[in-house]
Amino acid sequence: MDHPTTSSLLTWMIFAPTIGVLLILIVIGLRSLGTLSKQQADEASRIIALVASTAVLGMAAALWKAFDPSNPDVQFVQHGSWIPAYNVEYFVGADGISITLIILTALISFIATIASMPWWPGNAHLDEHHFSQRAVPGYMAMLLILQTGMTGVFCALDMFLFYVFWEVMLLPMYFLIGIWGGSRKEYAAIKFFLYTLAGSVLMLLAIIGLYYNGPTVTGVDGQIHHSFNLLRMAEWGRQGGYQSAPLVVGLSFARVAWVGLFIGFAVKIPMFPFHTWLPDAHVEAPTPISVILAGVLLKMGIYGILRVNFALLPQATRWASTAMAVFGAINIVYAAFVCLAQKDLKRMIAYSSVSHMGFCLLGMASFTQQGIDGAVLNLWTHGLISPMLFLIVGVIYDRAHHRNIEGFGGLAQQVPEYAGLLGLAFFASLGLPGLCGFISEFTVLLGALPVFLTLTVISATSVIITASYYLWAIQRMMLGKLNPAYRTLADVNWRERFTLYPLGVLIIVFGFYPAAIINLIEGSLRNLLAGLA
Amino acid sequence: MEVGWLYLIPLLPLLGAAFNGLAGRWVPKSWVYTVALVVVLLSFLIGFAGFVQMSGEEGTQFHETVYTWFAVGSLHVDLALSLDRLSGALVLVITGVGFLIHLYSVGYIDEDPGYWRYFAYLNLFVAAMLLLVLGDNLVAMFVGWEGVGLCSYLLIGFWFDDDAKAYAGRKAFIVNRIGDFGFLIGIFILFNATGHVDFAGMRASPLPYAVAMWAAGLLFLGATGKSAQLPLYIWLPDAMAGPTPVSALIHAATMVTAGVYMIARLSFLYVQAPGILALVALIGCLTAFWGAIIGTAQNDIKKVLAYSTVSQLGYMFIGVGVGAFFAGTAHLITHAFFKACLFLGSGAVIHGLHGEQDIAKMGGLKKYMPHTAITFAIATVAITGVLPISGFFSKDEILAQALNTSAFKFLTLTPDPTGPRLGFLGPLIYVLGTVTAGITSFYMWRCYLLTFHGNYRGPEDVHPHESPAVMTLPLWVLAILSVVGVVLVLPIHDFPWSWEHFTDGLFAHARGGAPGEYLPPLVTYGIAVVVAWVGFAGAWTLYKPARNIAGDVAFERATPRLRRALVNKLYVDEIYDVVVVRTVWRGARLLWRVVDAAIIDGLLVNGSAQLVAAIGALGRRFQNGNVQRYAAVTALGVAALVYLLLVRT
Repeated sequence: MDHPTTSSLLTWMIFAPTIGVLLILIVIGLRSLGTLSKQQADEASRIIALVASTAVLGMAAALWKAFDPSNPDVQFVQHGSWIPAYNVEYFVGADGISITLIILTALISFIATIASMPWWPGNAHLDEHHFSQRAVPGYMAMLLILQTGMTGVFCALDMFLFYVFWEVMLLPMYFLIGIWGGSRKEYAAIKFFLYTLAGSVLMLLAIIGLYYNGPTVTGVDGQIHHSFNLLRMAEWGRQGGYQSAPLVVGLSFARVAWVGLFIGFAVKIPMFPFHTWLPDAHVEAPTPISVILAGVLLKMGIYGILRVNFALLPQATRWASTAMAVFGAINIVYAAFVCLAQKDLKRMIAYSSVSHMGFCLLGMASFTQQGIDGAVLNLWTHGLISPMLFLIVGVIYDRAHHRNIEGFGGLAQQVPEYAGLLGLAFFASLGLPGLCGFISEFTVLLGALPVFLTLTVISATSVIITASYYLWAIQRMMLGKLNPAYRTLADVNWRERFTLYPLGVLIIVFGFYPAAIINLIEGSLRNLLAGLA
Repeated sequence: MEVGWLYLIPLLPLLGAAFNGLAGRWVPKSWVYTVALVVVLLSFLIGFAGFVQMSGEEGTQFHETVYTWFAVGSLHVDLALSLDRLSGALVLVITGVGFLIHLYSVGYIDEDPGYWRYFAYLNLFVAAMLLLVLGDNLVAMFVGWEGVGLCSYLLIGFWFDDDAKAYAGRKAFIVNRIGDFGFLIGIFILFNATGHVDFAGMRASPLPYAVAMWAAGLLFLGATGKSAQLPLYIWLPDAMAGPTPVSALIHAATMVTAGVYMIARLSFLYVQAPGILALVALIGCLTAFWGAIIGTAQNDIKKVLAYSTVSQLGYMFIGVGVGAFFAGTAHLITHAFFKACLFLGSGAVIHGLHGEQDIAKMGGLKKYMPHTAITFAIATVAITGVLPISGFFSKDEILAQALNTSAFKFLTLTPDPTGPRLGFLGPLIYVLGTVTAGITSFYMWRCYLLTFHGNYRGPEDVHPHESPAVMTLPLWVLAILSVVGVVLVLPIHDFPWSWEHFTDGLFAHARGGAPGEYLPPLVTYGIAVVVAWVGFAGAWTLYKPARNIAGDVAFERATPRLRRALVNKLYVDEIYDVVVVRTVWRGARLLWRVVDAAIIDGLLVNGSAQLVAAIGALGRRFQNGNVQRYAAVTALGVAALVYLLLVRT
């Protein structure tokens, strides 16, 4: 078996949260036996969740430190057989495409866990209806399962395993929105679930097709096996293996599979016109879940396209590149315009995520080093900025119980610290140089320009529209005369500071030192690009 | 020459900003002032020492690569700084005038509870502006470019509880972003054509004609935003909502001249795109005229100065546009002195009148605030050119260059030398620019006379008073600089202080034949003096001290329509509002309501869900649990099968 096991670190990162889930199940058992009071059970599950996510964050730091950026191949491999009959393997590893996302997942899950704690002083406004007080053990268990699923998706190098993790992630998300969400939570949760599932079905069909048309190996039993090994399939694809597969209803198999996979991933990005689940899901989801949704879940779509579509089906990727760029440009500009019309702050920020994810599509479709590096870098920068934006929304929603941009006014006088943090997050998102969002958008546009001149120029107009909607929102919420209803509004408390400041600092740090991320990703992406040439 | 201390020049104000922004609220006031002033002064001293060392020998340039900011594939962006004679001079203007304005601000903002925030923003501005001029590549320059835009936004809306001021800040940022869009695309085009973003690398790669035209044109779009030229000048008059020292520093002396600086810095690019140079000159000329005529009818003292700035920036663009980069940048420097002096003077007036900005309600102030009046008068002399001090020569040089330059004589819009010629542009720009100089003299003397002469027309309970020394001292320094700044622009060949001589070899030379002379210098000086005095005479006739505001009434009576249009700034804001702002907003609502909500979500998403539900409802009819009906359906089915299988065959 090529790529033998070298490290169990990723396995620990994937399953440490699962251990937490088992512990919480014990807590739930003890609670039903009456051994623990509700309060004790709640606190115990919170502590378990926090310890688990802290442990994963620590492991992520170790991973970053030990990762060798000069090696473009997969590292930290754990490799074993899982279902021998179909040659399904347990195969995890990290390379430049996934390393930043694994670290990001650990970081954002940790932030989301902190944001779910009602512990620190200044949280008197969180009554028993607040998500942080309702069915706490269940919530924490779901959060941890979600973390296992997300980390697993980015680590998996076996396509079957990848698909399992992909689906594992879906269920806790459904419950987290559907149980702990806002007033239209059921609608939003089902919409999210069905949308994603519809995409997954196409993806599954494509995966099966890729399996049977893919590389074969002769097993120890002398029989010929197909393989779900993504690296082997990528090798097969690079050599044009999928080009010679039989036609599907008269169409090239590679192209049909490409489109099936792409739609499955596009739902997650989300790409126009598959994006309408996102605003609803965000608006109804509790703050930490929005944080994860925007910070990590959206990244899976782009990651999947790079890991599967780009690596396995390079010829079909070339065939589809213009379409990807067109959709990317539509995402960027269309969603930015829609932002301008929003009255609900969270909905505006959700659409702004749609807009910013469009940069990834545009960049990777250009097949230039700057374009594709910028796309992956954008996953990281958007992964820092959008969680901060949703946390900012959470702060005001917890206090005011509404998110109507026009229902505030003049808050900067009353809550200056909040105003400063909001300003930082908004300016980061509108691409102010010196903050990290600028680097990725700049790189993407620079890389895309020689390939898609018109589309790049159209996309670049978003710098104007984005500034318009953010500054207009700042003015309506923060500036002008203080709305008398908010004369007693409290500024950010320590729980919120613990989540907002780390993100704010990272946004500035990577604005000045993006090389830390670019170094990690560049080697593997150069190889990926070479496969497309 | 590589040096290791250039980074200190922008870093020190940045540290000052960080200190005042994070700790300023909690530490004593005097600490805030001390830190804010000392960091700028230190920057000035370092810049000065460097300037003296560097300027000893022609062609010396200090360079420093602080670190590699980011490198992706072939793109390599350093945070690199360079100090040459152009950036060095501007560093001195920024930190020198900046220091004076910081000093003045101590008196101006002292009573405002947000003083710490004010100084944090002001320090941050100085840092960003220094990065803009020192940056050795387009991306570093763009960081400064955006950074000054951010500070401008924060400072225009400094008193953010006033909706109008907050709006002005937002308008400034968004209009500037339109320009930034052009700037960004310009960078991308240049990188793709040359493989470099640093100036030296780009200079070394000759560009195809079309690439040079597009890159230069798009970068110029950025300049029209930042430097308030047609059609994007509309934010600058509104920007006067900020504290007056901010208007002096950002919206007169430094930030708004960034576009001129950028074109001068990229002279090697612009000379490869002569058509764009012609456009730069033409836009500059039209803006100069446009700003001047609106300035004649404004009653807000800061608005007069704002339109005057728009107009004077236009002159600078004429200068760089005709390929006389030294003339445009010389006017940039002299303008920094006299316009900062005028703005600070207006601030002293507003301060002394407890916030009054309407010159109709001023009058006779020279009695109450003699220092302000005299310095304002000196600066007015400088800008109008009634006496040959700094502004007279720097403006006249630009116009003379426009008239006599060869750049347009052989200019064609296409690389084809037989294409349509634009030789008429030079004389046209000269004539319009000269007329504008007369109008400038008129509106500035109107402003001066209405403010400082005649009778005091304000409310009786306001007692005008002179400002404290901390404010009048900077006024005097700037007034003196407005006079002695003339040494930079004296038309003496090989004069050691001459800016033209000093910047020899720094700028690229515009294409064209030998310089021809329509008019000898002495004639242009004569015309300039006459025009300035005509403007003054017009202002004196209408607004001489005894008449007070009767001049405006007479103006109104003579041309009611024109005057009303000018008072209303030629309705440009209203036109933009209808044509651009509302259209965009309606489009946004349409996309959301129709495309997103109705078509995608309503029809396709929820529609498909309803379709599934409808099919399910139909199917449910058959599954109603009624055994008799099941039996009946089964029997019918069997009968049909029997008929088909047996009877038909």
